[in-house]
Amino acid sequence: MIEVSNLSKEFVLNRQQRKELNTTDKTALAVDNISFKCEPGRVFSLLGPNGAGKTTTLRMLSTIFKPTAGTIKIAGIDAVSNSQEARKKIGFLTGSTGLYARLTPNELIQYFADLYGVSKKDLEERKERLYTLLDMKEFQNKRIGKLSTGMKQKVSICRTMIHDPEVVVFDEPTSGLDVITAENIIKLILDCKQQGKTVIFSSHIMSEVDLLCDDLAIIHKGKLLFSGTMSTFKENMKAENLTTEFIRLVHESQNA
Amino acid sequence: MIFTIFKKELKDTLRDRRTLMMMLIIPMLIFPVIMNVFVSVSASFQEEAATKKIKIGIVGAPNNFLQTELNAIPASYGNKEVIPYKDTLSMLADLKIDSLQLGAYVKLDFNTYLDSMKPAPLKFFFNATDMGMQERAEGYMKIITEKAIQQRYLKLGVNQEKVNPIETTYTNIASDKEMVGKLAGGILPYIFIAFGFIGCMYPAIDLFTGEKERGTIETLLTTPVARWQILFGKMGVVVLSGLVAASCALLGLFLSIEVLDVVDNKEILNIIHSILSPTFIILLYSLLIPLTIFFAGVMIPIAVYAKSFKEAQSIITPLNIVMVLPAMVGFFPGVELNLITACIPVVNIVLATKELIAGTLDFGLVALSFSVMFVLAILAIFVSYKRFDKETNVVM
Repeated sequence: MIEVSNLSKEFVLNRQQRKELNTTDKTALAVDNISFKCEPGRVFSLLGPNGAGKTTTLRMLSTIFKPTAGTIKIAGIDAVSNSQEARKKIGFLTGSTGLYARLTPNELIQYFADLYGVSKKDLEERKERLYTLLDMKEFQNKRIGKLSTGMKQKVSICRTMIHDPEVVVFDEPTSGLDVITAENIIKLILDCKQQGKTVIFSSHIMSEVDLLCDDLAIIHKGKLLFSGTMSTFKENMKAENLTTEFIRLVHESQNA
Repeated sequence: MIFTIFKKELKDTLRDRRTLMMMLIIPMLIFPVIMNVFVSVSASFQEEAATKKIKIGIVGAPNNFLQTELNAIPASYGNKEVIPYKDTLSMLADLKIDSLQLGAYVKLDFNTYLDSMKPAPLKFFFNATDMGMQERAEGYMKIITEKAIQQRYLKLGVNQEKVNPIETTYTNIASDKEMVGKLAGGILPYIFIAFGFIGCMYPAIDLFTGEKERGTIETLLTTPVARWQILFGKMGVVVLSGLVAASCALLGLFLSIEVLDVVDNKEILNIIHSILSPTFIILLYSLLIPLTIFFAGVMIPIAVYAKSFKEAQSIITPLNIVMVLPAMVGFFPGVELNLITACIPVVNIVLATKELIAGTLDFGLVALSFSVMFVLAILAIFVSYKRFDKETNVVM
């Protein structure tokens, strides 16, 4: 379960950033007072155009960023005041996630298992299951730098799931991947849902959203434009399909 | 957790060819290579100088005192051929085209000057780009002048002892170890500082900026490990790399002394052996560890702030000069460890190491130097932590 209430994030802008953004403001509000809830066994999708505040929100959920205001509860743990405990419950995967190229998948998985305090027995069991599921055995001892993009993605998935997190955060997990490689991620999200995990993912690929999500929130310029179930969203659609409805909502908020 | 991170980062670092080159291979090989080249080049120069036959032109009366005495100097002082010239112009022309290496001009009445007990003028010509020729002329003249003086004493019937009113002897009370320590002791900390800095540089950039650039830091920060633990684990590897690089350089220097026989003088060799005692090594490292931590602590905030490997390198490389320059103070004679120099970072370590080698250690001043570096190291760690804890600096 993820519970987000009145979450805001403000960044202090340095001179160069002010120049880049063409503003004289000393701060920028990336996320503006948003609230939503992600239920276990359901997939929650965070939708928004580039720069909407999706990544900042997910980075706050995964405790990389501290919120300026508001609260986050991860599996009942206050992620702001007790971030270290909350992290034990989170699995985090982004499309731009890098891996340590000089390590082998085995070494990398062992490293993250150690960081999460996974017992040897659990590690062996999970490794066996994930390696079989993702067909990773063949390249488990090869240097990650020598693996293909698809293989690396599999290692990333295994790394995300090795501590069996209750909550899984995906930040544009399929960006830059071909359809075949992206399928691994889709399968993983569905698997997590089946196992009763709480899944939140950000994307702007509407077909993925339509395929996977049960609940969704649309965010634009840090503000929440919609939050509810997918069925409610579809019922109230004024446009023909998801993509055009998404564009319509964003334009509407811009003109408001 | 710190150890888990340390272990992984060390493994990662040891698999990076660029870091390995800077940390192990270059420091280890640099001195044997430089010394080998230096020894063989200087040996060949010495050999050439010893066997080279130089030509000395003389303008003056036939069989003048200088010419006779030059011819009388044995070949053991260097092979030579004395060639009489009729005029200075042709002699200087030959000197210019290197047909001659030395030219001397004496007046026609040179011998008369000597006989009449007057100072006889003599002019030597040489080409300063032809190394060692002035020294060669001075060497010959020392012998010839000494002979002329003896002749005058004899002629005057003067007892030489009566002319020398004071017989002075100068006794050096410094031990050989002290001499080596004070005069050459600066090189040891200089090597350590220079290579310690370079050794820290690549891992610092790779483990902080590199991790940011490769997009791996974000994942690491979502693990249930405190940021200070991540920082300490990584910092440990940076410090160790600096110490390993510096130790490799010293080991390389030691091996070139032992294996390449750079030091001919057995006494100096014995002194070097006696300096390298276990106590000395422990004391040396206890001074150098806070210094390396200080280096790491200076580099890490820069590496955390930089957005790319190139940016980090362009800031840290000039910093190298700023850090290593004070180490050169160790080469200046007369600069000693006192209450003021003990408070100047880097300089204090160089001077304390010099004292350590010379065996003239004032433990109070060494403790002060250590404390200054220790406080700075703590301060550097604190600044690194503050920078690493700043979310906008860690994530791009």
